[in-house]
Amino acid sequence: MRLAVTALAVALALLPVAACSSSGGGSSSPASTLVVGEFNPFTGPDAAFGPEMVGGCIPAIRLINAGGGVLGHKMSCVQEDTRGDPADAVPAAQKMMATETSLVGVLGPSSDEALATVPLLNTGHVPMFVDTGQAAFDHTTDAYFWRITPADDVKGYAMALWAHQAGYTRAAAVFGNDAGAQSDVPTLVGAFTKLGGTIVYNKPFALDQSSYRSEVESILATHPQVIFTEVDPQTAATFLSELQQLHGLLPVIGTEVSLQAPWLKAVNTAIGAASMAKYFEGMQPYAPTSGPAWQTFNKALLASGSKVPQPSQWSSDPYSMTYYDAVNIMALAMLAANSTSPAVFNKDVMTVTEPGSGKTVVTSFAAGKAALAAGKQIQYVGAGGPIVFNQWHNSTGAFEAAKYVNGNLALVGSVSAAQIAALTK
Amino acid sequence: MAVNTIIPAIGFGIVTASILAVAGVGFTLQFGVTNILNLAYGDIMTAAAFIAYLVTSAGLSVWLALVAGAAFGSVFSVLLNRCIYTPFVRRGTRLFGMIIVTIAVSLMVQNGLLAIFGANFFSLKMSRPAPVHIAGMVFTTVQLAIIAIAVVAMLLIHLLLRYTKLGKAMRATAADPDLARNCGIATDRVIDLAWAISGALCGLAGVILVMNVTAFTDTTGAQFLIPIVAVAVLGGIGQPYGAMLGALVIGITSEVAAAIFNPEYKDVVAFVILVIVLLARPQGILSEVATRKEVAA
Repeated sequence: MRLAVTALAVALALLPVAACSSSGGGSSSPASTLVVGEFNPFTGPDAAFGPEMVGGCIPAIRLINAGGGVLGHKMSCVQEDTRGDPADAVPAAQKMMATETSLVGVLGPSSDEALATVPLLNTGHVPMFVDTGQAAFDHTTDAYFWRITPADDVKGYAMALWAHQAGYTRAAAVFGNDAGAQSDVPTLVGAFTKLGGTIVYNKPFALDQSSYRSEVESILATHPQVIFTEVDPQTAATFLSELQQLHGLLPVIGTEVSLQAPWLKAVNTAIGAASMAKYFEGMQPYAPTSGPAWQTFNKALLASGSKVPQPSQWSSDPYSMTYYDAVNIMALAMLAANSTSPAVFNKDVMTVTEPGSGKTVVTSFAAGKAALAAGKQIQYVGAGGPIVFNQWHNSTGAFEAAKYVNGNLALVGSVSAAQIAALTK
Repeated sequence: MAVNTIIPAIGFGIVTASILAVAGVGFTLQFGVTNILNLAYGDIMTAAAFIAYLVTSAGLSVWLALVAGAAFGSVFSVLLNRCIYTPFVRRGTRLFGMIIVTIAVSLMVQNGLLAIFGANFFSLKMSRPAPVHIAGMVFTTVQLAIIAIAVVAMLLIHLLLRYTKLGKAMRATAADPDLARNCGIATDRVIDLAWAISGALCGLAGVILVMNVTAFTDTTGAQFLIPIVAVAVLGGIGQPYGAMLGALVIGITSEVAAAIFNPEYKDVVAFVILVIVLLARPQGILSEVATRKEVAA
């Protein structure tokens, strides 16, 4: 009797461990729906991130399910709100891995929670297509980590190159004191200096203050020609409107944060549409709104209105495109590996994306599925362009500069991957 | 550091101090009379700002928006006290318990605003004319209006507290509610009026805050709560005149610090001063006695 009780206790104790390991490493039961976790902030200061992710995941799932699913399974996107805070994100990750028994991968985490949750997801054998830009992951050896958006330090190079091309030689760096924004600064300063420019002001900003007038005065005393910036919408609106009221605006080059709808709306209202069009440009990963992959993405996106509010707002969003690509890559990797087990198909993420002679280039899940069924090797080229992972599972492309004119983003130029590579040497 | 950097910073500090003064006096008055540390104060400021936003979006004047925001803050605060806080107090909830209740209210108000207005940024529709230079300092007309509003509000509070029966009754209730009741003061009515007046200041502060910051969201007021509490503590919690002085100290110090040192530390410098002052005078700058009393109801 005593032995039976002990055995039962041991079995009960091991039950959660078994459940956890099956979520990451085991195969899904027949006909179960495979889950992709949207692991990002949906509430809190970075609540804008989550909907951007939904704008990529839902169209991908729509096309995969319409194309017969993956190895007899349908797929679905499930929101996991990290609230942009590691304290909330860690339990959210643990809950997701424990309860989603058919979890095949996640989109995210973002910079807000990546350092705390990437190790957890990696240990749980959950492939993650992160949107964090933190340079800490530039040389990661985490096998389940995949990044198809440029790292923040690359963004700094792109901003410096764009300002240099415009002829600016004196710049002020106005970045928030949060980790995400500050990770842009070292490469921006180094690259701009290397290109012959001078950063005349570089002090982190406390966010969401009631006033930045003293900072405006300090910046103007250094006589910059251009302002580099990444701060949240409220801070940007207050700072730029005070700059405008007190002295008049200067040219502003922002990061992709400044090309998100909440930022554009807040600042556009604060400084006026005419000033916005005249003085502001934002840099974001280059994602051409053309080509067969983008057309497939956009068509599916626009048809997803019941699950994606105002879907057209994500048509030219490079992050939504990369989330869409990430889901397609995971689905194609499962087909290539003939397994829905992340531990098995994870290595095939590389297989289905890397270029190679004799490979069939595909631009959609349906085309990739057909090619794999025909016994061909494939290279998936996504809505965001070709994806070439390096040994640390990072893939970096070009950047584009955009203006905000009449309520729409207009492409005004680009910085190539080759230019960035030359600067990083 | 050049004088031509510090003098404008002092001017900017006066604007910040004006907002802090209106908010801080309301907060400390509320606590002084009722002994409820209302941590939903910042969220009520935000709610009032949204009322002002609706008024200006309807094409009405920003002055009307100020009145509407103050009226909303007043009515909402009275209802909040009567419908939520007072029942808890009557059931014997003590000071710490009431703080938890106010945090719950704060979350409810914040999420209510999020549900109604969404996770967007909003701006009051108002003209923003060119700046004015006064004695080496630069102000916009909106900022001059904010300073004027704060001065008028502080004068009215001074007149109320010093020269009216209500003011004396409020001070008596703040000092000892039981004794005030035994002396024939209708403390229930006094407390209602204290919530109404402090709520009006709260609403007014919310509107002038978003007039100044240009873009606001459902968390703007809550983010401003810490400096408000600091102002109240620095001046001596429950001391309206102390809060006025505290607002000037924190407002000007933080702006001058941002101009001289690193703007990242503008709050830090202000709070270092707060800690130093409290080490010397734990009861705050103007408070004569650190009170130890329970929640008034």
